Amino acid sequence: MHRPSRLFDYVNHTFLILIALICVYPFVLIMSTSLSDGKEVVSGTIYLWPKGINFEAYKYILSNSRLGVASGLANSLFYTVVGGAIAVMVTFMTAYPLSRKRLVGRYVIMLVFMFTWVFEAGIIPNYIVYNALDLVNSRWVMILPMAVNTFLLIITKSFLDALPEELEEAAVIDGANDWQIMWRVFFPLSKPIIATISVFNAVFIWNQFLVPMIYLQERSLQPITVVLYNMIINSSKGGTSFENITVNGVQLLPQNLQAASIFLAVAPILLIYPFTQRFFTKGILIGSVKG
Amino acid sequence: MSSIAKRNAAGKGALFKRMWDAKILYLILLPGLIHMIVFKLLPLFGLVIAFQDYSIFQGVLKSKWVGFEHFSAFVNDSYFWKLVRNTVLLAIFNLMFVFPIPIIFALFVNEVKNSPIKRFVQTLSFFPYFISSAVMVSILYKLLSPQGGLVNDVLNALGFDSVFFMAEPGWFRALYVGLNVWQLFGYNAIIYIAAMTSIDPHLYEAADLDGASRWQKIFRVTLPSIQTTIVVMFILAIGQILTVDLDKILLMYNPSIYDTADVIQSYVYRQAFSSEGFPNYSYGAAVGLMQSVIAFVLVIGANKISSRYSDSRLF
Repeated sequence: MHRPSRLFDYVNHTFLILIALICVYPFVLIMSTSLSDGKEVVSGTIYLWPKGINFEAYKYILSNSRLGVASGLANSLFYTVVGGAIAVMVTFMTAYPLSRKRLVGRYVIMLVFMFTWVFEAGIIPNYIVYNALDLVNSRWVMILPMAVNTFLLIITKSFLDALPEELEEAAVIDGANDWQIMWRVFFPLSKPIIATISVFNAVFIWNQFLVPMIYLQERSLQPITVVLYNMIINSSKGGTSFENITVNGVQLLPQNLQAASIFLAVAPILLIYPFTQRFFTKGILIGSVKG
Repeated sequence: MSSIAKRNAAGKGALFKRMWDAKILYLILLPGLIHMIVFKLLPLFGLVIAFQDYSIFQGVLKSKWVGFEHFSAFVNDSYFWKLVRNTVLLAIFNLMFVFPIPIIFALFVNEVKNSPIKRFVQTLSFFPYFISSAVMVSILYKLLSPQGGLVNDVLNALGFDSVFFMAEPGWFRALYVGLNVWQLFGYNAIIYIAAMTSIDPHLYEAADLDGASRWQKIFRVTLPSIQTTIVVMFILAIGQILTVDLDKILLMYNPSIYDTADVIQSYVYRQAFSSEGFPNYSYGAAVGLMQSVIAFVLVIGANKISSRYSDSRLF
């Protein structure tokens, strides 16, 4: 009775671990390629670990401004930090009043948010509005439109809805106004949801591709996603091409440089992932209950 | 009569007083409200250009009205059916794989009682969800490249010729769906795994007493217990079936594979942003509007059905 069950466990564990490893294997391969000597890459022997480890590819792409990798990373970081901070503030400040039952009109406002979430105007009407607002080739296009994400607004509001109303009554008796109550009573209690929406907003902005593709033609404003597209996918259309280079006795192939660029675009998410993973899980579960 | 009028007046006054008392709340709400008006409602009004011959120089107010001309032009275009076919086929293939795989994965993860292994598997499997499509497609390009890409190296070693996957129309749908599965299955499984952890353990004990095997418990206890979740998720997936990942398509397609890869949204994008001639905003907006209306009806319908279903099941 026990043996077949244990066999099931062995097979199941092996199978799942294998799937998990396959999921991340391409990232490992990219990292190894970026760290390997071009001579090894060209002979096609890089399958798992790097050979002839060196950081020349990283030094090269970060010091050659013509490639735009350094500025792409700096831009992405700027958009993510500034845009993310603004988005968290505005989202919280929108969700809080909408979670107060005495706010007249909150259902209608929420309904409009839901409607505009489900019925999308589409990219062309958006373009006409953004163009009129002078957002074309402006850094603001990566910040302002992202300030309220309806999904995150809903999960923040449902978190605030669940906090006891008595908290507010006590503060009112102490003579606090709504602004003070929001920041001093509810904001500190909302740390878990603030963490969740911070992580979601940051990843959302870091990963933007369509918006910068449409609005940021100026290379000095482009985030890393667009830089990657021009370098790797669209390189034939007059993007960035490489020749083979030898630096400090290490051969650098286009493969090394492209892999290093890809890895740098993943690195920030890789760095925060272990610490923030639980907030992602929380987000999808809250969202699934209400959404 | 007069008492009713008085009560109405009092009600109005009370309403106004309630609003006045909440004035700070309205001020707090202001940035979000402005955001909604500017970035969500204004573009909706911008949709009127679908009924105009919009010119960027004349603006929305002065452009000529043409009624449904663009809509009928699109429907009568010979390219229309190709776009509809590509859009629908891609959506169906996507649903066929992206929907069931997380459920199967969740069933197996749920059988893992060793929690470090469980955590390890879940952590790695939903990592790709947080990676930009631009990065995912870049990696795909590298892996599938005919020059030194891993997949073609393996094909060559096995004695096959190299395949230029990204330029073959026949490969597009498989690659798009495969990439979506890679990116989404671990993340989508979270909901099912959460639903499974709330199954009453007594059910399994009862099954044990009846001498049920592992497989029987999976199929007779676990799966029926999460049936509601599956149905609700399925209905919601149907509602969003037309929501293609435009980022991914723009990243993956090129003129040599338009035959299978060009869908309604990518066509709209090209009308405005990358056509060789003058950008055709009105035509593109009309096509986009048609798609939005159909998608809206699907989402609302699906939500109606899902709330009815989950209500009757849950309560």
